[in-house]
Amino acid sequence: MTVTQTEAPAARRAGAAEGELEKSTGRRNRRTYLALLIPGVLGLVVSFVFPLAYMVRMSFNKGAPDGVIEETFTLDTYIQPLTDPYYWRVTLDTFQMGVTVGLLCVLVSYPVALFLARSTSKYRGLLIAVAIAPLLTSAVVRTYGWMVILGTNGLVNSTLNEMGLIDTPLKLTNNMTGVTIGLVEIFMPYAILAMISGFGRLSPQLEEAAGSLGASKLQVFTRVTLPLSLPGILTAFLLVFVLSISTFITPRLLGGGSVQVLATEIYDQTTGLLNWPFAAALSVILLVLFGLIIAVYQRLTKKIGG
Amino acid sequence: MRVITKGKIALAAAATAAALVLTGCGGSAGSSTGGDSSATSGELNLIAYSGVWQDQYTAAVIEPFKAKYPNIKINYSSKRSSAEMLSALQGQKNNPATDVAIMDNSVSTTGNTQGLFDKIDAAAVPNLANVPEQFKNKGGFGPVVMLDAVGLLYDTATFPKAPESWDVLWDPAYAGKINVNAPPSLLGLSLTAITSKMEGEDYTQSIDKAVARLKEMAPGVQTFAPNPDEYQNVITGQTVLGLGQNARGQFYSDQSNKKMGVTFPKEGTVYQINTVNIVKDAPNKAAAQTFVDYALSAEAQTAFAKALFYAPSVTNADLPADVKDRVVPTDGSLNIVPLDVEFLSSARDKWTDTWKRQIITK
Repeated sequence: MTVTQTEAPAARRAGAAEGELEKSTGRRNRRTYLALLIPGVLGLVVSFVFPLAYMVRMSFNKGAPDGVIEETFTLDTYIQPLTDPYYWRVTLDTFQMGVTVGLLCVLVSYPVALFLARSTSKYRGLLIAVAIAPLLTSAVVRTYGWMVILGTNGLVNSTLNEMGLIDTPLKLTNNMTGVTIGLVEIFMPYAILAMISGFGRLSPQLEEAAGSLGASKLQVFTRVTLPLSLPGILTAFLLVFVLSISTFITPRLLGGGSVQVLATEIYDQTTGLLNWPFAAALSVILLVLFGLIIAVYQRLTKKIGG
Repeated sequence: MRVITKGKIALAAAATAAALVLTGCGGSAGSSTGGDSSATSGELNLIAYSGVWQDQYTAAVIEPFKAKYPNIKINYSSKRSSAEMLSALQGQKNNPATDVAIMDNSVSTTGNTQGLFDKIDAAAVPNLANVPEQFKNKGGFGPVVMLDAVGLLYDTATFPKAPESWDVLWDPAYAGKINVNAPPSLLGLSLTAITSKMEGEDYTQSIDKAVARLKEMAPGVQTFAPNPDEYQNVITGQTVLGLGQNARGQFYSDQSNKKMGVTFPKEGTVYQINTVNIVKDAPNKAAAQTFVDYALSAEAQTAFAKALFYAPSVTNADLPADVKDRVVPTDGSLNIVPLDVEFLSSARDKWTDTWKRQIITK
C-alpha cells in the first residue's frame, strides 16, 4: 500500500510531466511547421492573393471607352455580360471547347498512359520522359508548328492534294477545328501524366485474375481496367478542361480572330480596348466557372473513389 | 484516396497557374533612375513599337542619336500596339518611368486628354519650327513625327498589275485568300471608314451600310487576325490580298524580292499618323526634349523614311526620288478618307463590337 501510495503520485507526476513535455514539443513542432509554411504562404499571397483581390476590386470599377478607369463600385461590368446573349454564346463556346478538347485529349492519351503505366520495360522512365518531352517546347512554338501543318498550303492539305483526294484545301485553321487539334496535342502530356499518377489502383494481377476466371479481353477491359482507371481519366479530363478554357495563345493564333472564347475576349478588352474593369469581370466569371467544375469533379470523385 | 489527393494537387496547380495567367495583366515599368538636368547626358526611357519598326528605328535614328549624344543611355521598351503603350503609361501615371512615347495619334490624343503627356516647349525643341501647322498638336502637345497610310497588300504573281479598287476584296475569285485585321486593329477600323465612304454613308452618323457590305466580304476572309502578320501571310502565299500599312508593306516588298506589293486604291485610304510625346513628370525631361528635337530633325526623318518608308512630318527633309515615290504623299495628292481621332476614340469600342457580333463569321 505504502508503495502504491507513494508511487502513484510520483507516477502521476511523471505522467503529467510527460504530457506537458509532449504538449510543449507538440507546440514547438507546430510552431516549426508554421514557420516553415511562412515563405510559401507569403509568396502565394504576394503573387496570387493580392493580384486576385486587385482583379476582383477592378471588376467593380467603371471603364470608359478610352481606357480611363473610374474608381467606383458598380455591378454594370457583371450585368452587361450576363444580360448580353453574345457573352452567353462566348461562354458556351468556351465551355464546349473545354469539353471537346478534354474528351479528345483523354481518348488519345489513354492508350499511351495505359501502356506507360503497365510497362515493365527497363526503358519505362525514358518512355515517360519522351511522352512528356513536348512540354519542353513552349505552347507558342507548337501552335506555330500546327499553323504550318494545317495551313492552306500546309502539310496536310498539300499531301491530300498530291494524293488527289481533295481539289480545294480543307479549312483546318482559323476556326475551331484548328484550335481543337492544336489544343489536344498541346495538352496530351498533361493528360498522360495525370492518368499515370491516377492509375494507382490498377494492378496487372487483377486483370490476370479476371482473365483466368474466363473473362474475354474486352470484358477485362470494360469490367476491370476501365473502372479502375476512371479516377485517372477524370483527373486528366478536368486538368485538360481547365487548361483549355483558360488558354489564350492557341485560340488566338489558330483561331484567326474567328474563334471567340473568354480568354481571347479578356485579352482584347485588356490590351486592345483598355477596358480593364470589364476584362476583370470576365476573368471573375471564368474563375467562377472553374469553381463550379471543380465542385462537380469533387462530387464525382467521391462517388467513384468512395 | 491516394488518387483523389493527387488529382487535387494537380488541380490546385492547374487552377493556380491558370489564375496567375489571368491576373498577370499589369503594365510593365522600366527602371526609373531619377532626372539629370543636363540635356546631353543621363538616361532616356523610350516606349515605342516592336518588331521591324524597332529594328529600323534603332538603326536609323537611335544609333545616330547615341553617336551624337554618347552620354545619353536609351532604354527602349517595345510594345506591339499603341494601346499597349497607353495601358503601360496609365499604369505608371503616379510614378512615371517613361520619358518619351512614339504612338498612334488616335491613342496619343487619349493620352493628352488623360493628362499623361506634357506640352512641348518650343524653345527646348527648336526643330518643332520645321513641323508645319497641320502636323502640330493644337493644344501644344506632341507633334506628328511620321505619317503612313493603310494600303492594300497583294500577291504580285496573282496580280501582275496592282488592283485599283478596294472592290477586289469582294471578288469571289479570291474568296478564302484574303486577310483582314479586324478592329480594334487600326486597319479594320480604317476599312470600316473606307467602306462607309464607298457606300456613300457618313460614318460619324451610321455604319449600317458598311456593315452590310462587310458582311458580304466576311465569308471570303481567311483570317481576321493574321499570323505571324498580315505581310508574311501574303508573302508565303497563305493569302493573295490583305490590309496592311504602306510603310511596312514597302519594306517587306523589298525583303521578299517583290513577291508582295502594296498600293493605295482609288476610293481612298486612311492616314496612320505617329506622334512623339513627352510624358508628364518624365524622370529625364531634358534628355527627352533632346531626343524629341533629334526625332524631328531632317536627318532623323530622312534616315527613317529611307529605312522603313514612313513619310517625314517636317518640311526640310529631303528624300531621294525612289524613296519619295514609295512613302505616303502628304501634299494632298492622295485621296484620303479622314478618320477623326477624337471620334475614333469613342467609336473604337462600338465598331469592334459590331465586327465581333455581326461581321466575323465562324
